[in-house]
Amino acid sequence: MVTFLLRRVLLGLVTLAVITLIVYGLARSMPGNPLTVQLGESDPSRKLNPADQQRMLEIYGLDKPWPVGYLQWLSKVVRGDFGRSITRKQPVTQLIGERVGPTILISGTALVLTWLLAIPLGLYASARGGHLDERVTGVTLYVLYSFPAFVAALFLQVIFAVWLQGTRWELPLFGMTDLPSDAGWAARSLDIARHAILPVICQTYVALAYCSRFIKANLEEVVRQDYIRTARAKGAGPWRVLVRHAFRNTLIPLVTLLGLSLPALVGGSVIIEQIFTWPGMGRLFFESIRERDYPTIMGLTFMFSLLTLAGQLLADLLYSFVDPRVSVD
Amino acid sequence: MPEETAKANGRPQLRQPSPGFWAEAWSRYRRRPIGMLALGFVLFLTGVAVFAPAIAGTKPVICRYKGQLYMPCLGYFNRSWESPVFTKDKFRGTYPKNLQAKDPDSWAIWPLVFQDPYRRVRDNEWPGRAENPSRDEGHPSRLNIFGTDQYGVDIFAKMVHGTTIALLVGFVSMGLAGSIGIIVGAIGGYFGGWVDAVTSRMTEVVMCIPTLVLILALVAVVEKPTIWKTMAIIGATGWTGIARLTRAEFLRLKESEFVMAARATGAGPLRIMLRHILPNALAPVLVPITFGIASAILIEGSLSFLGFGPPPPTASWGSILNSARSNLQLWWLVVFPGTGIFLTVLAYNLVGEALQEVTDPRLREAKK
Repeated sequence: MVTFLLRRVLLGLVTLAVITLIVYGLARSMPGNPLTVQLGESDPSRKLNPADQQRMLEIYGLDKPWPVGYLQWLSKVVRGDFGRSITRKQPVTQLIGERVGPTILISGTALVLTWLLAIPLGLYASARGGHLDERVTGVTLYVLYSFPAFVAALFLQVIFAVWLQGTRWELPLFGMTDLPSDAGWAARSLDIARHAILPVICQTYVALAYCSRFIKANLEEVVRQDYIRTARAKGAGPWRVLVRHAFRNTLIPLVTLLGLSLPALVGGSVIIEQIFTWPGMGRLFFESIRERDYPTIMGLTFMFSLLTLAGQLLADLLYSFVDPRVSVD
Repeated sequence: MPEETAKANGRPQLRQPSPGFWAEAWSRYRRRPIGMLALGFVLFLTGVAVFAPAIAGTKPVICRYKGQLYMPCLGYFNRSWESPVFTKDKFRGTYPKNLQAKDPDSWAIWPLVFQDPYRRVRDNEWPGRAENPSRDEGHPSRLNIFGTDQYGVDIFAKMVHGTTIALLVGFVSMGLAGSIGIIVGAIGGYFGGWVDAVTSRMTEVVMCIPTLVLILALVAVVEKPTIWKTMAIIGATGWTGIARLTRAEFLRLKESEFVMAARATGAGPLRIMLRHILPNALAPVLVPITFGIASAILIEGSLSFLGFGPPPPTASWGSILNSARSNLQLWWLVVFPGTGIFLTVLAYNLVGEALQEVTDPRLREAKK
């Protein structure tokens, strides 16, 4: 067990180093640098003269070739320092700390909603397997699964912000809140909730369609097992068989799936946050790429990759924990 | 093969050779109405893509001009395929009046819909027809069945010409991803040992970087994005799943008896991999490739939508959606391209699903 953990952690660290190396190389190869992109776009007359620019680059350590820059970044990260954002003049950790809350508000709500709906739907689908109503829900879920989230987001915006404009069903298009920060606590939460409805819907439905199909597929496999026949033979009711005997045995793959959705929970969705201009992590990443803000790009990449690797490790560990037949060694 | 064995054993020859794997899979596929419907839709889209300039355009499909036959509509595929005669005679892209004025004996077969995907059709360009409406007046109408955008460009024409891009993105990027994935997976699975360790680690690294993050970074690196570069980037990042599956199949098949037999006859590793293992490993790999086509179309749509796609004159469905973002009142800019992307993705997913069910023996057993 200990050797397994040690091996995985060491391998994970190597993978992490390779990933950050690749992304750092890519980021530094993008045309332009934080200074030119930022100043040139806002006001061409404020462009730095070459000497000043050179001095600024030296201050940020960008005058050296990128492999050196990567090593400097890595040595700082090992000491727990993620650097300061160049364009926002803030420590990267603080920047991420500010953005992670709004993202979890959306993706956390979506995750809870998904599982609350997906489990009953999956159970229902396998209980009513083959009946007309089950087939209708099945087809609907499949259609939703193929419906691109960004298209759905635009459709919802057209419906709720344009067609229903002026009615009481109107929902806000952009941002997280329209109220000033000194508005009352209750009014602010209500306003944020109204802004969050559409993004939450967009993130929920795709995952819901996927998860309920996944649950149903797993249940179908388990239902064919002998112990289910035994349970039926001893007189257990159909729901009891389904929930107590069948569903419990599908928990393992579900736990794995949950572990793998860990990075998405914190990372958020670039496209959804971009469409609704939600001030979260996905949008921060998008902006930092456009601004060539290397420390922020790297901080976010590091975090995403770490979470992905941790999620995989967690899933493997849980797998052997929940199912004693599987051994990690 | 069965015939030869039958002969060798001296038994009566089989009257019909037993159907091969693919023939059998196809006969099962044909019995799936939804799969067939989806396949039909994909073929329909292919037809639209190939005949796009003949469906919507402002250049004649075929015309006779000064005693010669031309096909100016090919200019939509490639500028240089449009005869230089028309540039020399100063047509400037408008054919109907110029043809009549410069050669009274000329005739032309026009596209079904006289609209251009790249520019606004002007007043009286087609004799007696008014200019395309622009800004927020371009509601779907008899002349512009899907409406027009802010600049008066017809959406139907854009959609028809965008079909070419949507299909190309699917095939080119997945062709690339499939080749990379199969090569990496085959090498890793066949040779095993440290080769496998290296390729597996490589796959894992690419897998761990979130796809959109990697793609956005790569698109930013490429200085002048074109649709081909976008396709290459989508392909270069989408091969990991295919590589894993191919590796698993190769690991399984390299221990089988027919591979041992091939090795005994002196076949080299390349020959064994290509001629003996690959054909047997292809069916399970084909399924993720089909799903990959759907996701490639989706990724191109979202990239164009985010403004990271190819530059404006390229008519892709995602770029129409992008232009709708600042003008949500123009609902027809959202509904038609959005539905187009959705139906295409759905069709490829359904084809993939059906393919999986007819080629996977385990699923086949389960359905009995």
